[in-house]
Amino acid sequence: MLSTIEFTLNGKKVGVTADPMKRLLDVLRGDFGLTGTKEGCGEGECGACSVLKDGLLVTSCLVPIGACGGADIVTIEGLSETARGKCLAEAFADGGAVQCGFCIPGMVMAANYLLMHNPHPTEEEIRLGISGNLCRCTGYDLIVESIKLASQRGEGLWK
Amino acid sequence: MEMNTAYAPKTLEEALQIRHDTHARPLAGGTDLMVQYRRGEGAAPRFPWPVLLLCGVDEMRGISRDGKGNVTIGALEISADIARSELVPWHVRQAASRMGAISLRNQATIGGNIGNSSPKGDLPATLILLDAEVELASIRGTRRMLVDDFIIAAKKNHLEDDELITKVIIPPHDFTYVWYRKIGTRRANAISKLSLSAALTLDKEGTIIDFRASSGAAGPKVERSRKVEEMLVGKRIDRIDEVLPAFLDAYDGVISPHAMPEYRRRVTRNMLSYFLKEAGKRPAGKVIEETC
Repeated sequence: MLSTIEFTLNGKKVGVTADPMKRLLDVLRGDFGLTGTKEGCGEGECGACSVLKDGLLVTSCLVPIGACGGADIVTIEGLSETARGKCLAEAFADGGAVQCGFCIPGMVMAANYLLMHNPHPTEEEIRLGISGNLCRCTGYDLIVESIKLASQRGEGLWK
Repeated sequence: MEMNTAYAPKTLEEALQIRHDTHARPLAGGTDLMVQYRRGEGAAPRFPWPVLLLCGVDEMRGISRDGKGNVTIGALEISADIARSELVPWHVRQAASRMGAISLRNQATIGGNIGNSSPKGDLPATLILLDAEVELASIRGTRRMLVDDFIIAAKKNHLEDDELITKVIIPPHDFTYVWYRKIGTRRANAISKLSLSAALTLDKEGTIIDFRASSGAAGPKVERSRKVEEMLVGKRIDRIDEVLPAFLDAYDGVISPHAMPEYRRRVTRNMLSYFLKEAGKRPAGKVIEETC
């Protein structure tokens, strides 16, 4: 059966008619062309498809679109238009956090979620904050340092 | 194109009616089922039965404590909120805080973790330790049973096809010492290789009046043996060495995994023995840290 699901996507009211069990990930990429959200493992282990759903960081590969009626979804495209997103993007660039880049949208979403709850995390807290996100290039150190940089530069942005 | 059938009720009454009429199967956070029925990159999962999407049923949320100390957790409560709640008993918070990663804890629910009935389920291991009950509702009414009785074996439980798990009720306890350890291969998103939840209650003289332990990923379901636990009741904690060998031998029989029984028995022995010996030193704190 087809269902029509209405929700908020990056601040705009949208609707989609789809199989209710279609993954939010595929709706974002296929129906809305928001390809910043990546499919890595498809099992909730790698974090590449992370988005905010009603303010909570979730892996969109595990969310059926039928469960998104009335929800507020923010993707990397939405975040990147905000001051927080710009601060994180600049810090990741300046800190050399990005190699192949595939994990980075998810990393930025996780970093933003961490800073939303803890604007001045320690290194250990940063590592825990991104522990659900896998990166196969960097060895994580430069990502951790870049998040630290964002938290220093972004004074007041997250609180 | 073949499509899934799914229902998204807004009230419990509506959900129970749909469940009764269609036998649609409940999906709460989806962190197990969406993986189980996935079909690969870019494809919608294909469920062999109609799906009852429960996330809109707010009546199935909430954490509260009554005057007698019983803590009730709505079936749709997510691990992140359970880990944060000061009303929730220590063991359950520990297990909740170590499930998956942040994003998984924002999705996975306590009802789903029980309904999935995996022997590796992190919350059931602690709920069984604490003699927690599930409330099962249908349009016929509600009933309660121990989580330990509800779960029969891996993926098997006593949920009737018109019922939903609506809440979990945990009775109060006043343990002297507590222990929780989950062993997995990655800090985040690890499925338990083995877990041990344990608790000890002593009287003023140091005599054991209650001991209990539950083992996750150690058999076809979370394993707990009241008979073996009772071997320690009435014994003095300062003379635990005298009873420990026989007790550990008996506990070996509780561990019956499908794989690596020697490893799991040995590690369980190490944990039990560490917990009891550390408790024997009568530390001031309640939590025996998992430093072994």
